[in-house]
Amino acid sequence: MKKEEILRRLNELFAEEIEAGLRYLHLSVTVTGLERLLVRQTLQENLQETLEHAQTIGERILHMGGVPELDLRVQIPAEKTTAAEAIRTAREFEQAALDAYRELLDDVAADPDADVTLEEFLREQVAVESQHVAELDLFLED
Amino acid sequence: MDSWKEFDQNPISHSAAHHIVAIAELLEEYGYARVSDVARLLEITRGSVSVTLKGLKQRGLVTEDERRFLGLSEIGNAIAQSVRARKVVMKKLFEDVLGVDAERADRDTCKIEHLVSPSSALHALHFLRYALEGGAAQQAFSDAFGSFQKECGGEPAACCTCDDVCLQARLTNLPRIEDSAESDAK
Repeated sequence: MKKEEILRRLNELFAEEIEAGLRYLHLSVTVTGLERLLVRQTLQENLQETLEHAQTIGERILHMGGVPELDLRVQIPAEKTTAAEAIRTAREFEQAALDAYRELLDDVAADPDADVTLEEFLREQVAVESQHVAELDLFLED
Repeated sequence: MDSWKEFDQNPISHSAAHHIVAIAELLEEYGYARVSDVARLLEITRGSVSVTLKGLKQRGLVTEDERRFLGLSEIGNAIAQSVRARKVVMKKLFEDVLGVDAERADRDTCKIEHLVSPSSALHALHFLRYALEGGAAQQAFSDAFGSFQKECGGEPAACCTCDDVCLQARLTNLPRIEDSAESDAK
């Protein structure tokens, strides 16, 4: 894989994480009902974690000689949400991020000249994102 | 005037229309559509696509199989084709009849393609067919419109389209944002 392509894909992941952070923030504020007490903390913890991921990716881009770039077009409607709906929404964008990490990992792993530290980083991210999705799935179980 | 309510009642938001049309285009071009393909086409994040599609799946407009390939339901496909048809009609009207440049026509019709009703688009299509048919009457119409004096006297009372205000003045005398920012600063 060419360096430019890796930087482009890392920039996409940078945007995914920052947008996920914005969505977690919005969900944690707009979730209502009794279950707000139960899920708000999880949403806020995930918000912090996505921002940490974004920072890690941004620094990795910088170490590779690039500069993190952000071109977000986010529309989040002015709607309150229930706890279950908030978790379902979070699951959607967490799964999307997991897919993006997994695809980049597959491409990097298939390249014999790829940076092993990048491959290791992506492998860790896939593990963490998989855990996020699994945790959110547990919330949705009856 | 209840027309503003139609905007709220329109079941497809601007963003949703783009997602549905993007899926239709990908299915036609490649035979498949995934979240990543839609994200790339619309130049937004996968997360954003997934969240929008969640609502469209709940409403039965978009489908997703076990391998996470996207499809359109019968209604979703009908909406996609209708939005695309409205876009083509309005763009042709803007560009081929009214003389709006192609880039502007494309951008402006992108904003209204899902908001203009199929009924109004059908009226526009009828006019388009009439105007572009190529007969002597249409040629005369086209020539006459081409040489029509577009500047007006700014006198609503003497105008066949304006009642008490000059519409042309309102459409052309918009201050540029940077100009007003400058005057505000002063």
